[in-house]
Amino acid sequence: MTTSFLDRESTVAPPGFNRFLVPPAALAVHLSIGQAYAFSTFNLPLTKLIGITHSAPGDWDLKQVGWIFSIAIVFLGSSAAVFGRWVERVGPRKSMFTAALCFGSGFLLSAFGIHLHQLWLIYLGYGVLGGCGLGIGYISPVSTLIKWFPDRPGMATGMAIMGFGGGALIAAPLSVMLMEHFKTAASNGVLETFVTMGVIYFMYMMIGVYSVRVPAADWKPAGWVAPVQPKQLVTSANVAVDMAWRTPQFWLLWGVLCMNVSAGIGVIGQASPMIQEIFAGRVSPAVAASFVGLISLFNMAGRIFWASTSDYIGRRNTYMIFFLLGIVLYSSVPTLGHLGSIPLFVAAFCIILSMYGGGFATIPAYLRDMFGTYQVGAIHGRLLTAWSVAGVLGPVLVNYIRQYQIDNGVPKAQAYSITMYIMCGLLLIGFLCNFAMRPVKEKYHYRGSTP
Amino acid sequence: MKGRLVILWVAVGIPLLWGVMKTLQNAMKLFH
Repeated sequence: MTTSFLDRESTVAPPGFNRFLVPPAALAVHLSIGQAYAFSTFNLPLTKLIGITHSAPGDWDLKQVGWIFSIAIVFLGSSAAVFGRWVERVGPRKSMFTAALCFGSGFLLSAFGIHLHQLWLIYLGYGVLGGCGLGIGYISPVSTLIKWFPDRPGMATGMAIMGFGGGALIAAPLSVMLMEHFKTAASNGVLETFVTMGVIYFMYMMIGVYSVRVPAADWKPAGWVAPVQPKQLVTSANVAVDMAWRTPQFWLLWGVLCMNVSAGIGVIGQASPMIQEIFAGRVSPAVAASFVGLISLFNMAGRIFWASTSDYIGRRNTYMIFFLLGIVLYSSVPTLGHLGSIPLFVAAFCIILSMYGGGFATIPAYLRDMFGTYQVGAIHGRLLTAWSVAGVLGPVLVNYIRQYQIDNGVPKAQAYSITMYIMCGLLLIGFLCNFAMRPVKEKYHYRGSTP
Repeated sequence: MKGRLVILWVAVGIPLLWGVMKTLQNAMKLFH
């Protein structure tokens, strides 16, 4: 049987291969799919496709357009869960190529949907096809990086997942620039921008496809010896994906991720109106947008910082910091609002968002510690369903509680106090899940040979 | 191998730096 360029066998690294060539391959994929976080830059232009400068009769409304991102996130979580085992089997190159194909063609199909003014084609294009590209792309380099960096798994996966946060920082100004460039009297430039981004992102992800390599089965970093006496919460055994999700540890980690993400994602969605309402009259929409940009930067930086730190202090301790410091910071927000201190308020949210990003980036290494390297990518894929749940839970809690309070006569500036205390409650649940973490029992260990 | 390493890191580093710079430029408004 012949081996194709995309097969796992073709990606085995030759002796002497520099392992630091692999993180940029993973980053090329994650920087591309991270565009999803900046999709909101298209929301308003998509409601003006007919009217060009304003919404005309027949144009879609914001509610309809908002579903595109929601569908993409649902398909991100579900495709990561469903295709995780396939990704492990075929290796990173074929899965990255599939992700590039899905993500790039998702943009092109959506552009066709804009051309015909058929919203369902955009749901199908960016939502379903693009969403599958997001899910497959997100998990494809994870287990490869963990195998290349057994000495620093947190740093390695943190680097890739930092790219997902960084992708939005690139995509937001890029989308605005492209729409401005393609704008004419007859078009607001969204269609052309979608085609251009589809092609650019496909080609950029191909950098990852061409340069990714898996280590040979017996490869180890030079001079590195696996610890003879592993730490209590770092296993030297393996657990298969079908067995992993039957363990209490999987569901405890699911709770850890879900609670950490719920608390952060609720704030991200409301960051701009929140700072404007708490400091009414002192913060303009433009300054609020700067605040959103700043917390996005900390979201990205926190991914590499906390994941790398976890290599030294342990994953469990890292999440302990997230939950305990998170509770302190969230509970201090109402006081900072009363004090009227914008710098302290901004600083608190920068740290909170760094821990939100850090939670995403540290979880693959935590999974590796608990379940071994065998099918860690697939297990990670299933754990990402916690993200899908948190994506609904966090914003719903923040938005509904705020609205309920305003409807009951609470001034807007104080409407976030109860929300912050509820976020503390979520973090407390996460803390307890993390506190209860114990090594996986031997009966769940995989006995077969690992590739 | 070293050349490839540099090219790859530059290829991912430049867009990321550009995005960070753009975001920082906007974030500066917070402090004015």
